[in-house]
Amino acid sequence: MSDHLSSIELNRLADGELSPEQLAAAQQHLEGCPACTSQALAESLMKRTVARAGHRYVVPVDLAERLKRRSVAIAPPSPAPASQSTRRIAFAGWATAAVILLASVLLLSRGVRDPDGPLVAEVSDMHIATLAANQPPQVVSSDRHTVKPWFQGKLPFSFNLPSTLPADVVLEGANLTYLGNQPVAQLIYSIGRHRASVFLRQHHGARNPVQAGTEYSGFHVAAFSTNGLDGVAISDVDPGRLRELANLLEQAQSTPHP
Amino acid sequence: MALLPWKRMSRESAGQSSGFEDLALPLLPALYNLAHWLTRDPGDAEDLVQETYLKALRGFGGFAEGTNFKAWIFRILRNTYLTSVTGLAAVRTVALEEELREEGDQTPNYPEGVIDRQTPELQLIRLNDSAAVQRAMEKLPQPLLEVILLCDVEEMKYKDIATTLEIPIGTVMSRVSRARRTMRDMLQNDIRLHREVRP
Repeated sequence: MSDHLSSIELNRLADGELSPEQLAAAQQHLEGCPACTSQALAESLMKRTVARAGHRYVVPVDLAERLKRRSVAIAPPSPAPASQSTRRIAFAGWATAAVILLASVLLLSRGVRDPDGPLVAEVSDMHIATLAANQPPQVVSSDRHTVKPWFQGKLPFSFNLPSTLPADVVLEGANLTYLGNQPVAQLIYSIGRHRASVFLRQHHGARNPVQAGTEYSGFHVAAFSTNGLDGVAISDVDPGRLRELANLLEQAQSTPHP
Repeated sequence: MALLPWKRMSRESAGQSSGFEDLALPLLPALYNLAHWLTRDPGDAEDLVQETYLKALRGFGGFAEGTNFKAWIFRILRNTYLTSVTGLAAVRTVALEEELREEGDQTPNYPEGVIDRQTPELQLIRLNDSAAVQRAMEKLPQPLLEVILLCDVEEMKYKDIATTLEIPIGTVMSRVSRARRTMRDMLQNDIRLHREVRP
């Protein structure tokens, strides 16, 4: 293939839509063409990014139940017959078992489907975006009495900030942001020359979905749950220092609101 | 054991219902996500999903076994959206079809050296910024948004996307290409704006 790959060919390559012959020809071209290789990489990257960003909205927890209740009144016609009579006989025998199985699957899937699954990835993205943007936070202050009230009316919960911090730890400010479509507070600290983000959100589920001592993309992650809040701290600082900051925030939640 | 006719009917009905739910309920998160992207409103998205679900349930007899149920129910959702008030308003504001048809598959090749590689590191950073990507997706015209949601988020094959959107497969290809190019342009503009605001 002497000509450059067209935009459509590059996208079909990223989407796995080329036939084996087309794929072989494209690969042969890419071996000798840095421009098309770069573009093919860009298309794949865009596909991956959209896939991640596109999983944005979480279905309301009770919607499935409401749909089931409404559908009870409607007896669905059977699908177009491939082997309808055989299917009917099979279904007749297993109808009760199928209903029980469906109920079990639904119950199980509720437990298994964890809307917080990609939480660490999202937290990491937010933290990287904050570092990369190099912009001041939405509220710039090292004073907890300025930062905390700034969130009034913006978040459906309140939180405390530690009254004292270690010598080289400074509160730089905070952002109002969103995780899993929920409003959260992003507190930004500097620890020496490192920066750390601490995300606070309403308690969600039985336990904080982030495991203790998690690492992601080279960042350390520390988490805590207390007083109706889930906290996730992330930074490239030493994990012990990050844990120390997370512990201070956790302890602050159990002290009376100033 | 022979069943009495009324018992047999009742069991058949339960089996069919379970068959539909087995197929439809696992797709609920995907249906809701797509509905929310299209309607841009949680209440409208819920209404759209409910209407889709009930239409699909009633029309389950028209579904040919062995064909792609996901493409079938997504097509119902999309058609339901297009005939809704918000869908009609969105369609009226998009005069993209002619533009796309004119452009067809004649998207230019990338000559060496012309490809925009001026800020790859910034582009990478931007691609890591989910909020910026979501903002760009929100600005996409509906025909481009729905095609990349089905292709990238739902990981559907081009032929299934063509079935869902009721368009030729060539149009799917050109829309995917155009959608990603538009996304890239918007993200680059976003970066430029950021740089201009903060010298």
